[in-house]
Amino acid sequence: MPEANNAIFRRAVVALSGGPTDATIVRLACELGRSRHTEVIAVHVVELDWTVPLDADVAERSEEAQRVLDAAEGIADSVHGNLECVLVQARDVGAAIVDEAAAREADLLILGLPYRTRFGGDFAIGRAVPYALKSAPCAVWVVREPIGEESQ
Amino acid sequence: MFVIVVGGGKVGYFLARELIQSGHEVALMERDRVRAAQVTEEIGSIVIAHDGCEGKYLGEAGANRADIVAAVTGDDEDNLVICQMAKHHFDVPRTIARVNNPKNEGLFKHLGVDEIVSPTRMILGSIEADIPVHELLHLAVLGGGELELVEAQLRDGSPAVGRTAGSLALPDGCSIFALIRDERALSVRSDTELRQGDKVIGIGRTECEGELHRILLGETEAAG
Repeated sequence: MPEANNAIFRRAVVALSGGPTDATIVRLACELGRSRHTEVIAVHVVELDWTVPLDADVAERSEEAQRVLDAAEGIADSVHGNLECVLVQARDVGAAIVDEAAAREADLLILGLPYRTRFGGDFAIGRAVPYALKSAPCAVWVVREPIGEESQ
Repeated sequence: MFVIVVGGGKVGYFLARELIQSGHEVALMERDRVRAAQVTEEIGSIVIAHDGCEGKYLGEAGANRADIVAAVTGDDEDNLVICQMAKHHFDVPRTIARVNNPKNEGLFKHLGVDEIVSPTRMILGSIEADIPVHELLHLAVLGGGELELVEAQLRDGSPAVGRTAGSLALPDGCSIFALIRDERALSVRSDTELRQGDKVIGIGRTECEGELHRILLGETEAAG
């Protein structure tokens, strides 16, 4: 990560899942990046199955995707942060987020992780976070939501 | 072009990789989860870790919009099922199958597979080009698998040596039309006399191969 200007990052990509951690990671990135020459890019990936082509007009028409982006913009506005929102269609969320971070030469990738358990109680980390931790060329922060009472 | 490759072995892996590099959209189906993970690691998230023989999974792979389905598993029966399902259930315009046992080629054609690729036959052809294993060299399969283009090199004692092409009682549906003599290609007419060392090019129905062999080269070993 860059040393100049004591900035924690120069360009951060924030992965929006539409889950409860979105607000936390957008706020975190915007507050850390505020008043410095930094960029925060929020990426929401709409995963398409193979029955439709990748350039199908799905994400733009998705009310859910728009809600995720609008919510992120609302959080950024509330902390006076500067946020660029991007909607991506892909076959795999993890790969798409890492590709986006690499393409934008981000030096930080922030992902939220809901606390979920599998049947039997084992913690379920999903696929996107391990993929990002393993494959992203930049630093990766993972923000896990607190364990709720019902999970304990 | 959207291509579904079924079978993530060496053939499927390199096929998918080349197609991606050529700018095509590719989905690779591999039922072995360990192998699927390995291929994903190497060429990205294009792998569907399911059995392409099952219609449900072939559908999930996007067979409804595929331009080509290439079944390249090591199992002929699987490749046939995959191609038939792609063709008849999903209306895929073009199906390509790897056929490991050359004896299955006719069946694949008969059952509507558009293109068959037989590595065994290709290698056999290469070997025959250098060492005349069967003396009747297979050059190509034509007409949907019903016709074969063959080459016979006449040797001392071949029954056709010294005879004219027109005097040979070739079976119905067979024809010899060219020969290579002293590294020159010549067309064959009815009065063309065949000589020792000539490479005679003929075409005929697959089932006539034995008869063609007998007329041009003599009895096959199998025939006694």
